[in-house]
Amino acid sequence: MENFAVFISSIRWQDVVDISLNSYILFRFYVLFRGTNVFRVLMGMTVLWFLQRIAISLGLIVTSWVVQGIVAVGAIIIIVVFRNEIRRVLQAKNLKSIFWGLSYKTATTPTEIIAETVFQMAARKCGALIVFPGKEDLSDAVQGGTPWKGLITKEMIASIFWPDNPVHDGAAIVQGDQITVVGAILPLSDREDMPSHYGTRHRAALGLAEASDALVIVISEERGDVLVAKGNRLREIKQKRTLEHNIQEHVGTAAVNKGAVRNEALEIAAAAMLSIVFITGIWFSVSRGQDTLVSLDIPVDYINRTAGTQIVDTSAKSVSLVLTGSGALVKSVTPDQVGVRLDLSKAAVGRNTFTITSDSISLPPGIVLREVTPSEVDVMIDETIKRELPVQIDWVGALSDNLILVDSVITPSNVEILGGKRILEGIATIYTEKVLLDKLSGKGEIAANLVLTPPSLKMAPGFKDKVTIQYLIRERE
Amino acid sequence: MGWGRTAMRFRCVFILVVFVVAYLFPFLPFPSARNAHSADAPQLKLFQALMCEEIFSNAPRNPTIVFSVEQKKAVCFTSFSEVPQITIIYHHWYHRDVPSAKIRLTLKPPSWSTYSSIQLRETDIGPWRVEITDETGNILYVLRFSVTE
Repeated sequence: MENFAVFISSIRWQDVVDISLNSYILFRFYVLFRGTNVFRVLMGMTVLWFLQRIAISLGLIVTSWVVQGIVAVGAIIIIVVFRNEIRRVLQAKNLKSIFWGLSYKTATTPTEIIAETVFQMAARKCGALIVFPGKEDLSDAVQGGTPWKGLITKEMIASIFWPDNPVHDGAAIVQGDQITVVGAILPLSDREDMPSHYGTRHRAALGLAEASDALVIVISEERGDVLVAKGNRLREIKQKRTLEHNIQEHVGTAAVNKGAVRNEALEIAAAAMLSIVFITGIWFSVSRGQDTLVSLDIPVDYINRTAGTQIVDTSAKSVSLVLTGSGALVKSVTPDQVGVRLDLSKAAVGRNTFTITSDSISLPPGIVLREVTPSEVDVMIDETIKRELPVQIDWVGALSDNLILVDSVITPSNVEILGGKRILEGIATIYTEKVLLDKLSGKGEIAANLVLTPPSLKMAPGFKDKVTIQYLIRERE
Repeated sequence: MGWGRTAMRFRCVFILVVFVVAYLFPFLPFPSARNAHSADAPQLKLFQALMCEEIFSNAPRNPTIVFSVEQKKAVCFTSFSEVPQITIIYHHWYHRDVPSAKIRLTLKPPSWSTYSSIQLRETDIGPWRVEITDETGNILYVLRFSVTE
């Protein structure tokens, strides 16, 4: 229960947004591409991706590389091969339907009218080619044609295929309750096993059926037969009822009832749930699944120091933290996101030992502290005092053999220093930085910085950490 | 009778004046016996203190504040113009605030010059100071110098 509470508290708002956003993107992909070849290939790619993750977890390096390569190439292949299908999905829908709408299958094709007209035309031996596209895009397979966009009626179908009509030799393409294109030229099948009495119209119907998922009705002009081509099959239909059923199955009209709509809604709801579960699973595998360790050296921040005291020494300026978490989170952790703070409000003058607990350490969500080294820090607190100390020059180098440095005057000769009482009591002199003699001669003035050791010492207000040195050099006797 | 009253009055006034003077006497601006004694008593008086390379004919030669290790020696010379009695002084040598040597020197009246010195080695490079103190540790003067390569 406690672990669950820790887990819940470790979830960031970014994680919630991450899962929600990607779940919705996945769900939209499903809504837009369901039933198409793109969707089937995407599912295959997903399976391959899972295989790759399994291969990585099992340590199958070459296998994971190969699968990764296939997935990468597959992604390009999808875009290239299915570009028309993708374009059709995206072009056919407006922006709102891409991001929001649920495209229930429209089933408004008047199948009864079509079937009845087809058999009437067959009785008159009026040849015809009627195409019912499936999910696949036909723009690559179908050539030419005249845009029509007319509502389907018996008269319209009959007039399109009337022998004197200029477009009667081509195919009519039906989408929904409209004939969208007439006079379209279909690809011809290369099959050798077709009956000899089948003409070009039959070969065209089978050609398109082989090349796509479309259903094509063909009426023989010579024999008055009605045939349906789908996939690589071309079969004769004797009864109007059978033809109507075939068309309904293909365009989905048969599924239009309340139960079917409910089933489809359930299917979409299930897809939405699966999207969430799937993305959550990926999130877990990426963000929580891999325990990655990282070691960071973090400087200790000493806070709430009592006024009038100062830290004169600590056993550790920084501590080493071993952090664990998912690879992605741990890699994104930077030292400035991690803080180690020790509260000195209860510290007394002298040596204080603090234990570094998890309360002293602030970590980004999702990152867990595994180890602290050192786990205890000694802090020497001292009372801050001000002391006046003489300044002395730290001469280095050498003058010429015939020269001696007779005298020097430092301004100011004394400075006031702020620092810990214990430290300042042990210091009798403040030295300058090393002042080089080599280039000095005669008399002159130079400036030198003061060296405050340890660094906890500070110049009192009104004093600079720089002095002026007046020197006098003479020849040796 | 009149003379007797006058004499009595005079005695009373005299006694009163004596009491007032006795009461105010400690507050009068006369030098105290102690101050008078310390002001009058001769004191140890430091006349000169310096660092030099050597002592030649009882006098410092080549005063300097920087000594090369190659010179092998650093000398602290002190001269007292007034030495009331035989007195002990000390030369405390410090290398970077760390005591290095404490040399006891005797001064004799009426005036006296004396010196102490240290041998210089490679480890002595850095800033030095010599504190000249009396027997009780009172610092009379501080000399500062450096030892270089």
